[in-house]
Amino acid sequence: MTGGEGPLQPGLAQVQRILSESARLAALCTACGECVKACPMPAFALLPAAEPAIVAAGMRAVLSGAPASPEGLAFVAACTRSGQCNAACPERLDVAFMLRLAGMRAKGATGEAPLVAVKSDPGWASRVKAFARMTMTEEEQSKWL
Amino acid sequence: MAVSDQAGVTFWYGCNMTRHGELVRLTMRLLQAVGVSADASGGPAACCGSPKEADARISAGMAARTVQAFNARGSRQVATWCPSCHMNMQDFMAPATPANFETLHVTQVLHQHREALRPLLRHTVPARVMLHRHLGFDSRVPVNDCVAGLLEMIPGLELTLQPPLPGHMCWSLGNVPGALARGQQETLDAMAAAGADTLCTIFHSCHREGVGLERTHPIRVKNWVHLLAEAAGWDFTDDYKTWRNAADPRAEVGAGGIAAAGDVVFDRLVEPELRKAPLV
Repeated sequence: MTGGEGPLQPGLAQVQRILSESARLAALCTACGECVKACPMPAFALLPAAEPAIVAAGMRAVLSGAPASPEGLAFVAACTRSGQCNAACPERLDVAFMLRLAGMRAKGATGEAPLVAVKSDPGWASRVKAFARMTMTEEEQSKWL
Repeated sequence: MAVSDQAGVTFWYGCNMTRHGELVRLTMRLLQAVGVSADASGGPAACCGSPKEADARISAGMAARTVQAFNARGSRQVATWCPSCHMNMQDFMAPATPANFETLHVTQVLHQHREALRPLLRHTVPARVMLHRHLGFDSRVPVNDCVAGLLEMIPGLELTLQPPLPGHMCWSLGNVPGALARGQQETLDAMAAAGADTLCTIFHSCHREGVGLERTHPIRVKNWVHLLAEAAGWDFTDDYKTWRNAADPRAEVGAGGIAAAGDVVFDRLVEPELRKAPLV
């Protein structure tokens, strides 16, 4: 934090944006469940059957930082960004973005305790660069990485 | 959204595309062939931050550095490959760090220039191809139609369309238990029903997860860029597919490749991936 005399560090600004957008969108969501009905994932991933409105309310709870239900967390965790929810929302909310934010909050991105297991890949950057050395020439690496 | 030929384009291929150096190389060649001046950028130093999204402080720092680097390049347009990068740019990166460029997808660029590409596609590619499609991202950028439009210009190629799978690419299905295996089985079933012999992937993660199907099923798996390159008569090899399907990936990569990766990194991070068995 800069004491209000300059721009926030990117990380702090991102945390603030996640929290503020989450709160704004959670306040607009009516938890009608239309997004859940439109989502292909509950059937595809065989999620436990639950009333769509209850699942949506659970997702909204994750988004707003309220105590989360198992149904809501399962819906958030099963989001694969299919985007079918947006067209289904009667309030024309960007539900896919809401689910992304809820996923970040569930993973503890803003510094809160994670609500779901977080997959970590500490070797990600090393692996990406190793493959680059295996598939690109030295000249390509110097220009493209 | 018109592509500006003069201003130059940054082809932002993402991070995990380094497995497929030939796709970066061939895409650059396609852009050059249609008159688009482009530089390529990717790898961890040009990350969108999504691999570290469980920590906003880390991911936002990575994202800010990438936008600042693209601004410094002076390109007025950034053409993405990876849908995660593209969405992250629009949803988080540009809103946080003002971008002096517009973001579009590389399939849009090539589709807009398809008439310049058409005369280059002189070689027949005799294949009955099923285009592997996903629902997500297509609602933001019409990648499924763009790629189909490009493939339809290839002589000899018969195109069939897979009913779109959930997710924005196979990587996202891989994060939900059982979903990727089901998606791959639905893909194989759709190919069998359509009599397709070749699966055409659009994104790198679908290709990465799909190439292993050649080990267990009588099909070929190619990316749309591979098919365009074949039609143009350009030589290339899909090394990742060769390694992934080898009985002994270590022997297939060879001493030179292992040394390039680094012995320890190859042992710990690369070889386990190359030895992953197909899911279906």
